[in-house]
Amino acid sequence: MRLSISERLIGQTTSITIEVKQLTFVELLFTVFVTFIALFFVALLLYYVNRIIVYYNTVDNAWAQIDVQLKKRADLVPNLVETVKGYMAHEKDAIRMVTEARERMLRAGDAKERIKAEGELTTALKTIFAISENYPALRASENFKLLQEQLDGIESKIAYARQFYNDSVLRFNNAISTVPGRWFARLLGKTTPKEFFGITEEEKKPVKVEF
Amino acid sequence: MERVSFYDQISKNKRKSVLLVTLIFLFLVSLIYIIAVIFAPELTLIFLLLATTLIIVNIYFSYSYGDQIVLKATNARPADEREHIYLINTVEGLSLAAGTPKPKVYVIDSDEMNAFATGNSPDKASIAVTTGLLKNLNRSELEGVIGHEMSHIKNYDIRYMTLVASFVGLVAIISFLLLRSYRVTRFSKSGREGGRGFPLLLIVGFVLAVFAPIAVRLVQAAISRRREFLADASSVELTRYPEGLASALEKIKNMNKGNMGVSEAVSHLFFTDPVKSPLDELYATHPPIEERIRILRSM
Repeated sequence: MRLSISERLIGQTTSITIEVKQLTFVELLFTVFVTFIALFFVALLLYYVNRIIVYYNTVDNAWAQIDVQLKKRADLVPNLVETVKGYMAHEKDAIRMVTEARERMLRAGDAKERIKAEGELTTALKTIFAISENYPALRASENFKLLQEQLDGIESKIAYARQFYNDSVLRFNNAISTVPGRWFARLLGKTTPKEFFGITEEEKKPVKVEF
Repeated sequence: MERVSFYDQISKNKRKSVLLVTLIFLFLVSLIYIIAVIFAPELTLIFLLLATTLIIVNIYFSYSYGDQIVLKATNARPADEREHIYLINTVEGLSLAAGTPKPKVYVIDSDEMNAFATGNSPDKASIAVTTGLLKNLNRSELEGVIGHEMSHIKNYDIRYMTLVASFVGLVAIISFLLLRSYRVTRFSKSGREGGRGFPLLLIVGFVLAVFAPIAVRLVQAAISRRREFLADASSVELTRYPEGLASALEKIKNMNKGNMGVSEAVSHLFFTDPVKSPLDELYATHPPIEERIRILRSM
């Protein structure tokens, strides 16, 4: 009897080991499958999370680039005013407009205020350059020419920086509002879309010149 | 037409640069091996070791200083803060549009209208423009041209193209030396030992030396045509104004004489082919200007 028990035990154990062996094979497959899926999701998560973060930072950087140009322009304005003053002393209104717009821009607290003031400064500068057509002596001055080229250059740089900013905003907003990006965006807490840098009402107006 | 995203293009350029360096390395080593076997079979190993070291040093320099070599070869000088402020501003504006760091700006004194970009990454890039281009183009045309160069920078075209430039120069020099030394030895040895040596190797060496520059140039041509079309398209993406680039190309077509004195080794870097030659049909490094204008005007 003992023998038979042990035989049975042996038999059982062998049959169990066989079963275990069969299980491990299936399990192995299963584990590989699960690991693969898990890795896939981890890769997906990393890809989308990083993409959102990179796009977010690009928007910030693009904004900083606009800011740099705005700052440069604000720095040039006093030079321009100094140069222009001597030649067109009685165009006080136009000159005051530029100075005031500049001060408002430097004081501006948030982005919205800033954008508005920068639109005003653009218009005021355009007016100055339009008026300067009437002052050949001023237009001939080397200093004025250089300033005008610098300000023109900054103007187009602002336009380009703005284009890049808006492109980056569009890319970021698309990334956080499309599926599956929006799920990952919720995970990161970056669900609010960034704001586009539009044209201000001030800039849409035609330049006023009185002769 | 197939769609190529910038990221595909960037990784393709990086991959191609690695491939190019590897191929050139293997090519030069085998070339030197052949030379060594022909002229000094007993010293082959030492010869090979020495040469390999030299080639590695050369590749390192081509990679790190390729842009400097190209700028020197084309007589480019740094743009002046005051005199070329217009150009500097335009370049800065377009680098803002592309979202890349501002490249260094150079000027080449030439009446021909042309431009090129070089460097090995957007952080270490340079743009050079001829004085003829500055004189004859208006702002939107200049922006179109600079936008074109900016996309070469952004796509890492410059890394690959600068490497090609420094290697084409190198291969040309080596094959020239090889051909000359082959001739010299043939004459000096014919009297005493006659047919001593390895005719087969000699033939292979000769063929390699003759065809290497042609092969490199053909590869260079095949790759840069597509690049130019892509760069035109990305330039428009930056400036949003296809007509600017189109009219710049038109001016260049009508006014350029194709007599810029630059080496063939750097011609593929330029905005339009700087040197016109009868062989252009066979391996022009640039697509025909008419075709570029037609595509731009249909955008």
